Amino acid sequence: MPESRYLSERAWLYVPFFLAVLLVSAIILVLPYDTVYVRDRTYLYAFLVIVVICVAIFLLGTLYNILFWMRGKGLVTSPERRLLGLVWKAMRLMLSRMFAKALAVFLRDAIYLAKLKGRSTSRWFMHIMILGGFLLMFAFDLLVTLSMDILEYGPMIDEGGWAKLWVRDFGFELAGVMMLIGLIIAAVRRFVLRPKMVRTELPDAASILFLLAVVLGGFILEGMGVAGGIPGHTQDIEYSFLGYAISLVLPVSSGDWYDAAWLVHGVMSALLIAYIPFSRLFHMVATPIAIELEEMISKEVRG
Amino acid sequence: MKTLDISKLDVLALVRFDACTRCGECTVTCPTGGEAQDVELVTPRGKIIRLREFYKGQYGLRARLLGPKHPSDADLTELAKRAYECTICGQCKAVCPAHLDTIEMWENMREFLVSNGLGPMPEHQQIVKSVENYDNPWMQPRTQRSRWVRKLDKDIRVKDALKERSDVLYFVGCTAAYDPNIRNMALDTATVLSKAGIDFGTLGNEEGCCGSTMLRTGLREQVRKMAEGNIARFERAAPSMILTSCAGCYKTLRQDYPRFGKLPAKVVHITTLVDELLRSGRLVPTKRVEGTVTFHDPCHLGRHNGLYDEPRRILESIPGLKVVEMERNREDARCCGAGGGVKTAFPDLAGKISTLRVEDAERTGAGILTTSCPFCYQSLKATIDAKGSKLRMTDLMELLRTSL
Repeated sequence: MPESRYLSERAWLYVPFFLAVLLVSAIILVLPYDTVYVRDRTYLYAFLVIVVICVAIFLLGTLYNILFWMRGKGLVTSPERRLLGLVWKAMRLMLSRMFAKALAVFLRDAIYLAKLKGRSTSRWFMHIMILGGFLLMFAFDLLVTLSMDILEYGPMIDEGGWAKLWVRDFGFELAGVMMLIGLIIAAVRRFVLRPKMVRTELPDAASILFLLAVVLGGFILEGMGVAGGIPGHTQDIEYSFLGYAISLVLPVSSGDWYDAAWLVHGVMSALLIAYIPFSRLFHMVATPIAIELEEMISKEVRG
Repeated sequence: MKTLDISKLDVLALVRFDACTRCGECTVTCPTGGEAQDVELVTPRGKIIRLREFYKGQYGLRARLLGPKHPSDADLTELAKRAYECTICGQCKAVCPAHLDTIEMWENMREFLVSNGLGPMPEHQQIVKSVENYDNPWMQPRTQRSRWVRKLDKDIRVKDALKERSDVLYFVGCTAAYDPNIRNMALDTATVLSKAGIDFGTLGNEEGCCGSTMLRTGLREQVRKMAEGNIARFERAAPSMILTSCAGCYKTLRQDYPRFGKLPAKVVHITTLVDELLRSGRLVPTKRVEGTVTFHDPCHLGRHNGLYDEPRRILESIPGLKVVEMERNREDARCCGAGGGVKTAFPDLAGKISTLRVEDAERTGAGILTTSCPFCYQSLKATIDAKGSKLRMTDLMELLRTSL
């Protein structure tokens, strides 16, 4: 392959990709975070640096895995060029009438997990709790960032504001509880019931326990904030129902450790994101893609 | 130590290997890995984990940073053997919550094994040689392919589709054409077509093996020439419909041939055509066939092609016949054990799987077990005989022909 073509094929992929990574990093770094309740801003800055690095690792790892797929049968140019072709086709699909079908497939099979529901209601419930909680939390995160840091929407910022109580307190609590329920079921099934179909290797066990630690840590953090009277945790605290319950057993002095606990929780969450492409958790990315490809590509053009 | 060439693995297969959630749903229902042997490596999850570990060890990020890790020859040989123990029945596809098309995955995995010198199994070589030399897997001369026609009633005319235009081109398939025990499948199909007044013909001795057995064992490139030859003959015959009575030929012609070339007509299985003829009143079964029957869904017809209702409607149209279902039916039906080259390479394993299916049928209390695939017929019949079962094995067209 001529060197100029070799470079241009890669440039078309890597330049926009790294620009996107920079853009995401810049957005993470420039947001004001006025309502992050750490008293020492050094903790916030340390977290931001780590989260930017972890998100970049996640994106790079995901790109690496996707480029690996592109090395499959029939490769005549470069994996990068093949991936660009696929991205182009996906963009055309999004602008075509087929998009409605693709969206329906995504919602039914990748989000609602309709087939799993048909096979086993209990396993579907476990999975939908984890996935649903995660998606709900992600959606609330976007909503809160947009309304607080960009639009500076009062009811989302004020201590007693309706949006603060229902989204930032109750909403996040609900999403966290959903994840917690799902993860507890998964842990009991994997470590206690151990049905024959479950195969547990060290990374599987570590992933579940780490996820559990992150989610439980979030509630303990909330409890520490309430117990210590940290700003944002002083009014209508019952909306954060589980955090409030935990605060009842925590001493007031636990608030002294709030900043450090906040950083630990944040760093653990960021590390989990960075770990996804290098673990079995990557199915969170690969499975929806596989489902879309199964449904949207006709059998005749696959081989 | 061997460096694996991953260039034969499909892009979609690589996506699917990463998309497998390892939930283990497939391990429970897999007839070879889960039910007949209880060996994790034969199950879909086992194969995926092992193969992924091998190629990631050579090409993954860790390999790039720390150097590749090559699997031992013994490990590769074991993976290949286990991969060939799969009947490619598609039960795993039916249950996979991640919607993975595992049928394509296993066929592609075998292609990959062949390209890396790890497949097919030595026992498959005799089939390969037979197909190459005789154009059929049964080591029978080409000149004998159309001999079955002589057994037909004199008033039934089978046209030579290459000389006379026929509306329907009946692709007989090697097994029905050559195996004396299965020949009735072709005879009954021709009789039913004739009674319906269908204008049909065959390619006679010119019909080539469809290549199904070779495709299922990973020899895709070797089938290309055979497929192109058959497609050229289809073009010469120019029918409005290509009809098969073999589930394996049906899958091959319908799903695999479009990858080798454009077919001049739609490929239809006999059960679909007969179902239409019955519903339109062109065929009316009148004679009573007493007995209780249960239908075995061939994998190539059911899970691979979604034909479940047609054979059942045909059975229900036959007067006197009582149809009962096995506990595992349709998408959930057990495999007969013969597919994917398993009967050739691992006859004992095929026998174990087949026994499970015959026992399914026995539990229904039916006296007749019927199907619509020559391989399933062969496999189940052999087990019924070996077991001394009271079941009577029949082909679906035989039952229908009896009632016409």
